[in-house]
Amino acid sequence: MNLSATDLCLTVDGVDHLKQVTATFVPGRLHTVIGRTMAGKTTLLRVLAGLQAVDSGALTREGADFLKTPVWRRDTAMVYQQFINYPHLNVFDNVAFPLRRAGLSRNEIRRRVISSLARVGLADFERRKPSQLSGGQQQRVALARALARGTGILLLDEPLANLDYKLREQLRDEFRTLFSDQGDTVVIYTTTEPAEAMMLGDVVLVMHEGQILQIGSPQEVFERPATTTVASIINDPPMNIFTGRIESGQVTVAGFQATHVSAHLADLPDGVYQFGLRATDVSLASAGVEGEVTFVEISGSETFVHAAVGETPFVIQIEGIHDVALGDLVKLRLRPERLFAFDEEGSLVRTPSYDLAPVEGR
Amino acid sequence: MRSRLYPVFKYTVIALWACFVAGPFFWAMTTSFKDVNGVQGGATYLPWLQYEPTVIGWRNIFGGAGGVDVMQPFFNSAVVTLAASAISLVLGSLAAYALSRYRFKFGFIKNSDIVFFFVSQRIMPPVVLVIPFFYLLQWTGLLDTILGLVIVTVALLLPIAVWVMVDFFNGIPREIDEMAMLDGCGPFQTFVRAILPNSLPGLTVAAMFCAVFGWNDFFFAFRLTFTEVQTLPQAVVALNSSIPPWWTLSAAALFGVAPLILLALWVERYLSKGNLSGAVR
Amino acid sequence: MTQLDIVDVGHSYTPGSEEERWALKPLGLTFEAGKTYALVGPSGCGKTTLLNILSGLVRPSQGQVLFDGADVTALPTKARNIAQVFQFPVIYQSMTVYENLAFPLQCRRWDKARIDAKVHQVAEALDLDDRLRQPARRLTADDKQLISLGRGLVRDDVAAVLMDEPLTVIDPQLKHSLRRKIREITEQFRPTVIYVTHDQYEAMSIAQEVLVMKDGRAMQQGTPEQLFEAPSSTYVGYFIGSPAMNFLTVDRTHGNVTLGGRALAMAWDIPQSTSESQVGIRPEYVEVVTEPGPNTFPARLRDVRDHGPQRVFEMEVAGQLIRAKVPRENGIPALEEFLVHLPRAKALPYADGRLVLHS
Repeated sequence: MNLSATDLCLTVDGVDHLKQVTATFVPGRLHTVIGRTMAGKTTLLRVLAGLQAVDSGALTREGADFLKTPVWRRDTAMVYQQFINYPHLNVFDNVAFPLRRAGLSRNEIRRRVISSLARVGLADFERRKPSQLSGGQQQRVALARALARGTGILLLDEPLANLDYKLREQLRDEFRTLFSDQGDTVVIYTTTEPAEAMMLGDVVLVMHEGQILQIGSPQEVFERPATTTVASIINDPPMNIFTGRIESGQVTVAGFQATHVSAHLADLPDGVYQFGLRATDVSLASAGVEGEVTFVEISGSETFVHAAVGETPFVIQIEGIHDVALGDLVKLRLRPERLFAFDEEGSLVRTPSYDLAPVEGR
Repeated sequence: MRSRLYPVFKYTVIALWACFVAGPFFWAMTTSFKDVNGVQGGATYLPWLQYEPTVIGWRNIFGGAGGVDVMQPFFNSAVVTLAASAISLVLGSLAAYALSRYRFKFGFIKNSDIVFFFVSQRIMPPVVLVIPFFYLLQWTGLLDTILGLVIVTVALLLPIAVWVMVDFFNGIPREIDEMAMLDGCGPFQTFVRAILPNSLPGLTVAAMFCAVFGWNDFFFAFRLTFTEVQTLPQAVVALNSSIPPWWTLSAAALFGVAPLILLALWVERYLSKGNLSGAVR
Repeated sequence: MTQLDIVDVGHSYTPGSEEERWALKPLGLTFEAGKTYALVGPSGCGKTTLLNILSGLVRPSQGQVLFDGADVTALPTKARNIAQVFQFPVIYQSMTVYENLAFPLQCRRWDKARIDAKVHQVAEALDLDDRLRQPARRLTADDKQLISLGRGLVRDDVAAVLMDEPLTVIDPQLKHSLRRKIREITEQFRPTVIYVTHDQYEAMSIAQEVLVMKDGRAMQQGTPEQLFEAPSSTYVGYFIGSPAMNFLTVDRTHGNVTLGGRALAMAWDIPQSTSESQVGIRPEYVEVVTEPGPNTFPARLRDVRDHGPQRVFEMEVAGQLIRAKVPRENGIPALEEFLVHLPRAKALPYADGRLVLHS
């Protein structure tokens, strides 16, 4: 029942939308595809759904050529970023539409529609038209339709991107329960948000410029990002990346005084490296490297301070909401034991180790 | 800018325009209840006071002496209009859907060129078209038949239907098609079950245009049918003689316009709800 | 820039209805000159009504609107000298970027050199200076929105800039940069800004002060920090912050606050008289510990959500759900049962849904 893509390529007007995409999607697992806008995530889903042709490559399902299967026989459901429903049908008929196409009995259709509407929390909305619902509710209808069929493949294309943040937070929590028991379904979920990818995914695929850069468990990808690009995509705010040297037991990074090489980097040969440091591993302190605050952002409950140290931009994440003024001079404290080391080409050579209890999967 | 006179000015203009539009109807209405005495001596508008109303004009068009029976031409017109409109809508929607959703390329000819080709049929003066039509119908033995007239009318109405529907389908998000296909519909089912039900406003507009153009066609019917098949416009014109029987002509004209007025009133419900354009999204 | 005051302003779209059903219940607020304010709340909370009253689009059923002390309640929008940015970019399609920015000044008959200088200054701030000669219609939605904002900023004398969900039609990925741009520009030009949004992220990133609204009432006005540290009601505690603030129902026996039979020491008292006493604490301040001590409570782990640098633990304490945000490096407790510590200073008392601070 595996869905396997091999070397999928698609170029449109000289731009690579998919570049040798190879991945195997396994039933019963939720795969999150994370990448920035235009990374090729939507294209990949459309190819899997049969809505988009590729230039070359293979796609197989249970060993059979899937590229030749027309859309309507792919046993696939999809939820779009925009809230797409049939405008002329009420909520009940929207959810029932694919079930009627599948030729289920009247009673069975009724039972499934009612149960999947209940699952998404829309039990009392059967008679409404989509246009009478809020954005969040419309997306729930689309979700109920996708779930009701129990298809072999379920594709979700940034389903929360157009919702505001409290709703996003709420639905994200609900998704975990909703997708916890997917039986034999291959679930693929795209997102631009690392927290969403980490929280929902059994498997995380990192995409960038049409390529898959890394596939692994959330923990693997987060703790062992294969390249600097992966490291910046899987962290929000993106991981701070800067160039430096290791020389005779000391680390020097641009604009910083030399620090002693932390234990986990000690056996690395001297040379030029790219270092990565998460925003949470930089803090504002009374002593340290001086930087100028260029921008301050506040999320739900964190403050992101953007500061420039010479030419190098840094992001510092502080828990809670703090008032930091633009243009202020601040002191940055870096945690050397938390440095990721990449070679000059950007491939991972060393990760920091977590010193506390070994981390288990959920 | 907006003085207190502004509403006065506004409603005066509206009233004048209303008179301009309704005037001919009112004139035809009064005239249809006159006889030869009533139409002499200039325009009069008030029944009983200015002229003695009579139903002679109306009796004439329903087979009374000195007139013609308009029922048969009315029936012919209805058949031709309904059949041609229905065929045009069905073929037109299918063609329009294909043009809206699929990319065609024949050499340098692309979708937009095909759409323009359809519309260009209406740019040509009808007199250019009528000669080939005449020969085609003669060759197939369909001159002076309902079927022949239906075929020609379809050729006239199809461009309108395609043009209106292409525009309408382009406004329906493609994701709806994709979703229907994912939901198990083949291309035809997608069209019938997901797109057509959302196209009622567009179909209504297209149907209205088809009905109006089909119903009012005089030129082609006049050139391609003679004795066996007469349409209503032909019959009305045929009433004319050296001394025009204005009362009969008026009655026939009103009778001919009546179906369109009823259609307009029915369609207006959709227009006034404002759901012709904003039906989707 | 101008100080805006609303004095006992309330509004109902259906005249004569009871006050309980008004779209905006009577309230008084001050928007100080040169500051950026965000009005935030779910749809139907009255934020747009309030904005429309400030812009002059809606005349309030009662109360006064003052601009620098002058009563403008009866004045129409164009007499109030305000700039507005709407959900959809409003630009002159036929004009270039330069002409769009210069237009409000030409209407005011400024001389050419002065217009030129001002337009260049604003365009530079908006990062549009290299595209001044381009037709405005060719720009992307977010750049068009910047022009809408810029047209307000070129006028030195503008009383206030009112923005109504200006990021709605902007691509989610561009929102971030436009949000940043708006913040930078308002810091530089310091107009009085009233910014309406339903997105808390936006409100807290852009504004110096945030007004949380619900059901036509102002729930709380304060800096982002105040809203986070001391939400005045359980609603604000839920609405601001991700995950939302924890609220635990506690017992009051013999003047002591107890949670599941154990004493909970707090920096503040909960008044005796109330029916429902709750303690609110942010997930950021809940600590997972192994050693028993004051204010520690046995907890059972129900679920763990991996957010990356932090994990959110969903736990059960005294039969109630509590969330804790824990740094990743702390790991996940190996045991199912452990202790949580609720720091004395961070546990806030709530009575009947409202914050009550008595020391």
